[in-house]
Amino acid sequence: MTLLNMLAHCVRPAGLAAVIAGVAFSAAPSRAEGLAPGEYQIGFVTENTGPLAAAGVSYYHGAQLAIDEINQSAWIGKGDTLKMVEKESGSDAARAVQAVSQFIADRNVIATSCCILSPVAGAVRPVAVNAKIPLVIYGATRPGLPQLPYVTSVVGLPGPQEVKMTKTIIEKLHPKTVAYFVNADNEAFQGRFKAAQKVMEDAGVKTAGVISILGSDTDFTAPATQAMGTNPDLIMVWTTQTPAGGIIAALRNRGYKGPISANDVIAPPPMFKKIGEPLVGVPFPVLFSAELSDTPEAKAFIEAYQKRFSALPDAYAAQGYTMVYYVAQGLKSLDGKPTRESLAEAMAKITEIDHNVYGGLPMKDGQAEFAKSLIGAWSKEGKVVRWDPK
Amino acid sequence: MHLFLEQFVNGWALGSLYALFGIGFGLVFSTLGILNAAHGTYASWAAIVGYYAVVWLNVPFPVAIAVGVLAGGVLAIVVDQIGFQPLRAKKAGLLGALITSIAFWIILDSLAGFATQQQSLAFPASTYPNRMVAVGPVMVPQMQIITILALIICAVGIYLLIQKTRIGAAMRAVGWNEVAAGLGGVNARVVILLTAFLAGATSGLAGVLGGIATSNVSFTLGEGLLLKGFAAVVVGGFDDVRGTAIAGICLGIIEVFVGQYVSTAMRDGVTYALLLLFLILRPRGLFGSTSFLRA
Repeated sequence: MTLLNMLAHCVRPAGLAAVIAGVAFSAAPSRAEGLAPGEYQIGFVTENTGPLAAAGVSYYHGAQLAIDEINQSAWIGKGDTLKMVEKESGSDAARAVQAVSQFIADRNVIATSCCILSPVAGAVRPVAVNAKIPLVIYGATRPGLPQLPYVTSVVGLPGPQEVKMTKTIIEKLHPKTVAYFVNADNEAFQGRFKAAQKVMEDAGVKTAGVISILGSDTDFTAPATQAMGTNPDLIMVWTTQTPAGGIIAALRNRGYKGPISANDVIAPPPMFKKIGEPLVGVPFPVLFSAELSDTPEAKAFIEAYQKRFSALPDAYAAQGYTMVYYVAQGLKSLDGKPTRESLAEAMAKITEIDHNVYGGLPMKDGQAEFAKSLIGAWSKEGKVVRWDPK
Repeated sequence: MHLFLEQFVNGWALGSLYALFGIGFGLVFSTLGILNAAHGTYASWAAIVGYYAVVWLNVPFPVAIAVGVLAGGVLAIVVDQIGFQPLRAKKAGLLGALITSIAFWIILDSLAGFATQQQSLAFPASTYPNRMVAVGPVMVPQMQIITILALIICAVGIYLLIQKTRIGAAMRAVGWNEVAAGLGGVNARVVILLTAFLAGATSGLAGVLGGIATSNVSFTLGEGLLLKGFAAVVVGGFDDVRGTAIAGICLGIIEVFVGQYVSTAMRDGVTYALLLLFLILRPRGLFGSTSFLRA
């Protein structure tokens, strides 16, 4: 049993996160000088309103929790604290650019973090690069967004987890035809769909139909009828959250009894509360799940999050949490009074985010790489369990 | 053929929602002379109030509908009296009212976001009729039948109210000339309040039914209906409920058929191109009178 595992069994969970962080801190080689004492501010562009607010609030809560933990355990050094300053974008590119510009003007802000949507992240990126301020992308999934040393991403790119789940589905369900739902207006979900479709077609599984929907759509009765009309052995849903829930509900309400698979947007507990029974047994790939993730860091995070927000953390909360620890690790590696440029350089050199809830999180060229993913599904009791294709 | 029929019913039900929403939108424009951008928020709020009535108070489905409809109507009166009545008194005109309505749209949308904690909610499946009914060879969800019937009842009822009753005559008179109607003995204030309530209530009905049928009760619900409802009113003719009802249904059917047989990605583009073509050929809409002010 490792030291961390022993601690996980012996220490009360509420304080575990702080202990783990403290151990990590004390185990680190001592530096000659260390980070200059002071308060370091992270400018966080929130998306707590607007069409993606449900996810935006989770990112924000995760980041808040990380800030508190780091400050309580003096994770970046004695006398050093982190502070998060927020500006709301409502997922609007113009407002996000304006928010980052204001952070740039505020010399107390040493790093920024932004964006769920890839087009918004794409708009903000050149602003941060030109101003030479670190920008950590916490939600946008378009490949190629990082631009070292200033722009980095802690988001899992589409591809590996979709491929893994699709291979498992082929192995377990042996479908011959698949109908796909995909967002016509979302590049990231197009990427996920194409990755899954390629795996299917390489395995000889034919495409029965591709039904494009828009992120703003709300009525899915007709698209569900269209998909069912193709008589597929399997329906895969590669869309954003609200459409995904609506599509699955419409398919089941119209009497479709065949297998459906989805993506991690159906993982947050409010989705099950909203859609209920139709989600039961629908597999989805997930990098973090409050019910399935079982590393000591994950358990401590779940416990602390639940205590603070009276709700289980979802994958978005985990990403917000990771973002703050990533910035903190960059700061921790510096001596003296850091500048935005020196912090960016330090963060760009990080090859592994030390404190994470995924059981290991390598960084390559400023991009997080998730080696481990899970395949979860909702049970009738409203718990995420490992997918059992029976 | 089976798929064609199923999609036809899907389009009819979807179009019925657009039409229900459009009827209220058209009423406000033809009677009160307001192009009300906040109209979508009445639908959102009606769905939200109906949802909480079900979740918190466990009211049955018909009561939830009634509560939502009432909420939509009352909200419309409140907005009218706070926002539009002062402008009406100063004869500020269409543009002033439009800007005011945009302000209400943003405010009410933001409040709706807070009321739902920025989440998309859904009526629990056990609280509304959610079975499939065999109608000939086609299986139709009960909610679609209810939506289609709701439009027929509302369209016929409001048409008869406007065309065959003294209240309706008063509404038409106020829509034509408020001052002249007043001189003729019409209590314009009462007519305005009644019109606002009716408009909000029909929008609210569309909101509650749409929120249930699509499993989406959120601040974005009304926005989705606003553009389509407006299109139904323009194509149908502003001052005739029949036109709005037929245009709304056609809009829904075209939208579904374009998605099924042409391209789902181009669905809205093709649908609106067809609408544009129709308006070029018949600018006053299906039933609109030639002398009516057009936006």
